[in-house]
Amino acid sequence: MSTSYKQIPFATLIVLLSISSARSADWPSWRGPAQNGVSSETGLIASWSTAGENLIWHAEFIGRSTPVVLDGRVFVIGRRGEGIRQQGVVAAFDAENGSLLWEHTYNIFHTTIPFNRVGWASLVGDPETGYIYAHSVSGLFLCLDREGQIIWSRSLTEQFGRISGYGGRVHTPVVDEDLVIISYLSSNWGTHTPGRHRYFAFDKRTGEIVWISTPGGRPLDTTYSVPVIAEINGLRLLIGGNADGSIYAMKVHTGETVWGFKLSRRGINTSVVVSGDKVYAAHSEENLDNTALGRVVCIDATGQGDLTTTHELWRYDGVFAGYSSPVVHDNRFYIIDNSANIHALDATSGAVQWIHNIGTVGKGSPVFADGRFYAPEVNGRLAIIAPDTQSATTLDLEEIEMADGRPAEFFGSPAIAYGRIYLSTEAGIYCLGDKSSPFKAETTPAEYPREKAPADAIPTHLQIVPAEVVAQPGGQIEFQARAYDDKGRLIGPVDAKWSLNGNVGTLSGNALAMADAPGGGQISATSGDLKAEARINVLPPPVYSEDFENFAVDTTPVWVGAGSKFKVRDLDGNKVLVKPPAKRGLHRANTYLGTSDMTGYTIQVDLLGNKKRRALPDMGLIANRYTLDMMGYHQHLQIRTWAAELRMAKTIPFTWETGVWYTMKMQVELVGASALIRGKVWPRDEAEPAAWSIEVEDPLPNRTGSPGLYGYSPAEIFYDNLKVW
Amino acid sequence: MKTTIYSLCSILVLLVSAGAETAMWGGSPSRNQVSAEKNLPVSWDTETGANIKWTAELGSQTYGGPLIVGDKIIVGTNNQAERNPEHRGDRGVVMAFNRADGTFLWQIAHPKLPAGRVNDWPQQGVCSTPYAEGDRLYYISNQAEMVALDTEGFLDGENDGPITDEESTESIDADVIWTFDMIAELDVFPHNLATSSPLGIDGRLFALTSNGVDEGHIHIPAPFAPSFIALDQQSGELIWDSSLPGDQILHGQWANPAYGVAGGRKQVIFPGGDGWLYSLTPDTGELIWKFDCNPKDSVWELGGRGTRNNIVSTPVFYEGKVYIAVGQDPEHGEGEGHLWAIDASGKGDITATGAVWHFGNKDYHRTISTVAISDGLLYTADLSGFVYCLDAQTGEHYWTHDTFAAIWGSPFVADGKVYIGDEDGDIDVLKVGKKLEVLHETNLGSAIYTTPVARDGVLYIASRNTLFAIAADKQ
Repeated sequence: MSTSYKQIPFATLIVLLSISSARSADWPSWRGPAQNGVSSETGLIASWSTAGENLIWHAEFIGRSTPVVLDGRVFVIGRRGEGIRQQGVVAAFDAENGSLLWEHTYNIFHTTIPFNRVGWASLVGDPETGYIYAHSVSGLFLCLDREGQIIWSRSLTEQFGRISGYGGRVHTPVVDEDLVIISYLSSNWGTHTPGRHRYFAFDKRTGEIVWISTPGGRPLDTTYSVPVIAEINGLRLLIGGNADGSIYAMKVHTGETVWGFKLSRRGINTSVVVSGDKVYAAHSEENLDNTALGRVVCIDATGQGDLTTTHELWRYDGVFAGYSSPVVHDNRFYIIDNSANIHALDATSGAVQWIHNIGTVGKGSPVFADGRFYAPEVNGRLAIIAPDTQSATTLDLEEIEMADGRPAEFFGSPAIAYGRIYLSTEAGIYCLGDKSSPFKAETTPAEYPREKAPADAIPTHLQIVPAEVVAQPGGQIEFQARAYDDKGRLIGPVDAKWSLNGNVGTLSGNALAMADAPGGGQISATSGDLKAEARINVLPPPVYSEDFENFAVDTTPVWVGAGSKFKVRDLDGNKVLVKPPAKRGLHRANTYLGTSDMTGYTIQVDLLGNKKRRALPDMGLIANRYTLDMMGYHQHLQIRTWAAELRMAKTIPFTWETGVWYTMKMQVELVGASALIRGKVWPRDEAEPAAWSIEVEDPLPNRTGSPGLYGYSPAEIFYDNLKVW
Repeated sequence: MKTTIYSLCSILVLLVSAGAETAMWGGSPSRNQVSAEKNLPVSWDTETGANIKWTAELGSQTYGGPLIVGDKIIVGTNNQAERNPEHRGDRGVVMAFNRADGTFLWQIAHPKLPAGRVNDWPQQGVCSTPYAEGDRLYYISNQAEMVALDTEGFLDGENDGPITDEESTESIDADVIWTFDMIAELDVFPHNLATSSPLGIDGRLFALTSNGVDEGHIHIPAPFAPSFIALDQQSGELIWDSSLPGDQILHGQWANPAYGVAGGRKQVIFPGGDGWLYSLTPDTGELIWKFDCNPKDSVWELGGRGTRNNIVSTPVFYEGKVYIAVGQDPEHGEGEGHLWAIDASGKGDITATGAVWHFGNKDYHRTISTVAISDGLLYTADLSGFVYCLDAQTGEHYWTHDTFAAIWGSPFVADGKVYIGDEDGDIDVLKVGKKLEVLHETNLGSAIYTTPVARDGVLYIASRNTLFAIAADKQ
């Protein structure tokens, strides 16, 4: 009986593999091998219980996203620790028995995202290299191998001006061929000064930036739509929801925008799902053309340019589906709305077939497998549903609880691999399956197409790699120009004429000897009619002083994130850096003026805070990812690393006056397993006191981090005589 | 007997308002959403139009009103309908409709604050339900101004002042009487949106300022700015202000004040952003009593997982007691809640002594909904979608009804029925009494975040984007 039962799905599996290069065994990214929330696994369970029914293993972990299951291992991102030991963590478990293989912990810094929203972005795995990519709420972008060793890392906040909101929505990376692509809101310098939702494609093996794409306009929200990669009309596309409310399709090798579709007056959080040449997108906010809230659209994705009015095939208005991502299977479209109702639509016509409730809050995304739906609900529920043409039946509704009896938060989606279902929740990792079925981790190698342009292809796009360089002065770097055809296929490296814009060094062919002084500029490559530019940011050296006298008024140093927030001003013949109250947006800003691997330095600045009616600013310095803050309203001096949790923070009363220049000094010393963070502040016209004003120890030290300035400016802040040594 | 009480209420209202008709969120200063209306519909059908008297298009999100003011219905919404082509894009809108047939009369469309979402969240419109007295409306705009408008707009052919230099004075526009800018005058930092529905008593307007945390959610940029204010209704001048919760504000302050008399003292009850209820003297703003609505061992956690809650609901004054429930920003998810009956005759910190009864912990969840009390029975709903009936005197729990969707609005009791809307767009009609009886459930096609009101046998309900007038046999 059991033998014959198992033979049938195995045969099915072989057929599936032969018609699709997608691997059915692993679950390398959050929506599965085909990026559509559909699994070809069979023999899955139809009921389970936290008490033990069909529960193969449970492991302690606090998760908020979807596991990656790759090569016999379950990889998860989450949070751990209490009080001063609160951290982010990436962990690997044995997929068969749930034993913990390794953990990589990291600190949370320079963010207002609270602890319980840490780890909302899922990991992604690369079946080819076995690498795992993680995006932390602080903007650390990590490439780890399957043993947990860091292959490369980038500090997106300190190097590229990434910004995050309080809400905790940060983006999940995607891997395709030789790239790992991550998007985020950034506000930096030059053309990247305006805050935008930008896509950065990194070489997945080295972390070098291959392209940067800014397809959209002004961001309306912080969002977390994970892009999908699909071949449509002969183009390999990266299709994602943007913070400006549109869906954009970009050529995955170049980042060139192929089409856009304006969907909402708010940012898009859901991922699209692709079926054939059709792209299905959803949101729960304002539409552009009526007062219904929310919409599902089916887009003919074969077009180019703005498809908003020309390529909409159908719409379903008033569905309130803004977080959970859809599924298309067997010509039926499924989505969970924000109130946890599953809507089933005819994928061709958009006609509603049924609506089925599974709870009150919909955030995670359902997975279709083995004829059933595995649908998560935020309040700890996993609903197993049998869909039919006219209705759906809930086969099982299990609720995961915390020890104190309240529902466990369940924001992720199921990962289905090796005949098992893996869930990452606030109450741990759950592996569900038939205990009598032997474990077999089927892994087939990745088969990326890597389609090259034909020999007679005509170049239509030029790319410079690396697309952005952020470095200390004096280094040497070589650039490569690559040509692509109109299908976005690589033709290959090409000879180009190179030129430089800005005082960032001297050029010899494609090799740049970086300047000795900080600054920003562009390197250009010209090949035939094609031109490309790459960004160069020569950051201040480890020993640096700046009195702003050589800056023109109203200009801004090329420091990361300074662009729209800080400006040089003439103050009675003395030039200073000013952070004025923001005319639009937030008063708060950090700017970083060194590479993120710096450590062991001291930073000092003169600063003055003004008063605007009752409003007083907060101002200070940044070293090793710690902030030393003179708080105006509260008349405090504070050292912190994570504004939302203050896990190691120390706050002391500190009286200071507006309109008076002070000198502030800060230093981070690594002592054994700890860091000693010290700060002092004194009136500038007085002698420096011998003692530190404030000292605090962090048992989980930030070992490196860019020096920088901090300001929260409902009233003006002036900075002068900055020194780093 | 009942008639006598209702007549008495009417007389009191008339005395308070010196003859002019008043209208406000919750119907009366006690904020108890119970009406003496009769012959209200139980069922209707948006598909066939059965019992639907008229509908009117609103914006795409509606949290303010509906408010019945004489022959008009006033609604706070957003500008997604763009009724005035001169005023495009995201704005906070107040619309006036003819109550008889739903004809659109006039609107005001406030631009958004330049600081963005931290002070003025996108697309939320005007959430404050106006206080109306005679031909004046008072509400708090998305720009954190108290605004006084003429209920007739410019349709009466007059531009009433002191403000007469409105940018737009077409018949579609609103006639502004005065404004009081809480940011410019008081340095208030509204968190996400200023939303309070004002209350008028003896010529004074009471409201919360919505002062709160900044975008990082831990820092209070203006702890010294007022949280509670009293303005002169005629002039819009500040009479007193109180910054009582000060630097203890946990998040925002989005609730409404209520008014009543207990212990021989007139009192305005303000829900503080620290989870405390504050009873203040209407004349001076002096503290009469305060009560911590959270258990002492509760913990506030950023991001919504903690056990310490805010107060988003409005207190209700009923027979010398104040009824209040706690909750959080719905974005923070579901959690344990607490409902209190508090003896309002005390003085000072009455946390240890003032509670008449408590209902909560695992039995009750976070709520932003306000209780309604009728014939000694209290009806309350929570964000997890449950409706409860309790004894108002003892707290005895009679029944629980599951609507299977989040509830933001409040129960409305009239004509022997309890009306409650939910996020799935359903209006459940329950029978009043100690035994649960569901009379009907109708879907309005879009989420309901407001509370129904009724007049002359007609029920008025605002879904997110549509105003419905519903009457049995379309009277």
